[in-house]
Amino acid sequence: MTDEPRPIDCEEALERLYDYLDGELTAARSEQVRRHLERCAPCLKLSKFESAYVRFLEARARTRCAPDHLRRRILERLLFEGGGAEAP
Amino acid sequence: MPDPERSRRTFETQVLPLLDAVYRVALRLAGEELLAEDLVQETMLKAYRAWHQYQPGTNLRAWLLTILRNTFINQYRRRKRAGPHVDVHAIEAHTVFGEVQDVDPEGAFFHRIVDDEVLRAIDALPDEFRETLVLSDVEGLPYAEIAEITDVPVGTVKSRLFRARQALQRTLYQYAVDMGYIRKRDA
Repeated sequence: MTDEPRPIDCEEALERLYDYLDGELTAARSEQVRRHLERCAPCLKLSKFESAYVRFLEARARTRCAPDHLRRRILERLLFEGGGAEAP
Repeated sequence: MPDPERSRRTFETQVLPLLDAVYRVALRLAGEELLAEDLVQETMLKAYRAWHQYQPGTNLRAWLLTILRNTFINQYRRRKRAGPHVDVHAIEAHTVFGEVQDVDPEGAFFHRIVDDEVLRAIDALPDEFRETLVLSDVEGLPYAEIAEITDVPVGTVKSRLFRARQALQRTLYQYAVDMGYIRKRDA
C-alpha cells in the first residue's frame, strides 16, 4: 500500500456518498471520497446538500419520547409479572 | 436461587433507558400512538420473559428492536391503518439537488418544513423503506445493526436506505414547492 489512495471518479464518489456521510466507510475508502470532494466542486456541492438533508432528517425525526403513562404501565406490568425473568 | 426482585431491577435498569428508542420506532411502524403503545408494552413484556436468553455484552438495543419488529410483523401489521400500496421499483430515487442547486444549494428550504409533515412523509414510505430509514435516521443505528434487526444483508440495507432517503427528499421537496418555500425551477 502506498500513502496516496487510488483516485476515484465522480460516479464512484457519489455511489459511496451516503456511506461516507454515515461514517460507514473504512478509513482508506473514506479518504478516497474526501480527496475526490476536495478536488471536485460539483460533487462537493452535492455532498453538502445531502449532508444537510440527512442532518435535517435526524434532527426532525428524533424528537419524540415515550409518554409517562406508558412508562408507568410497563413498570406496573413488570411488577405483576413477578419473577418471570432471570438475570442473564 | 434466582432473586426475582433483583432480576426485575436489572431488567429495568438496562432496558428502560431504551424505551424512548423503542417507542419512536414503534410509532413509525404502527403509524398511530395507541397502537404503538400496545406494541411497545407487548415488546417489553416479551423481552422481560425472554430476559434469560439475552447474552450480556451483546447489543441490547438491537435485541429489543428485533423483538419489536417481529411482534409488529406477527401481531400488528394487519391491524395497522391501510399502508401505502407503492411499487417500490417505481419510486423515483434520485436527488433533487439538480432542481434546487441554482436557488437553494444548501437545502435551506428543508428547515421550513414542520416536524409533523416530515413524519407524515416518513409514514407514507413503503414498509421496508420506512423501517430502514427510521432505524438509520431516527435512531442513528449503523448499517450492520439495521441488517441484523431487519434480517437482510448490509447491501440491501444500503440500497433501501438510499432509495428511502431519495424518495423522502423528493416528497419533502414537492411539499416545499407546493407551500411556496422554494421556487420550482423553470422547465
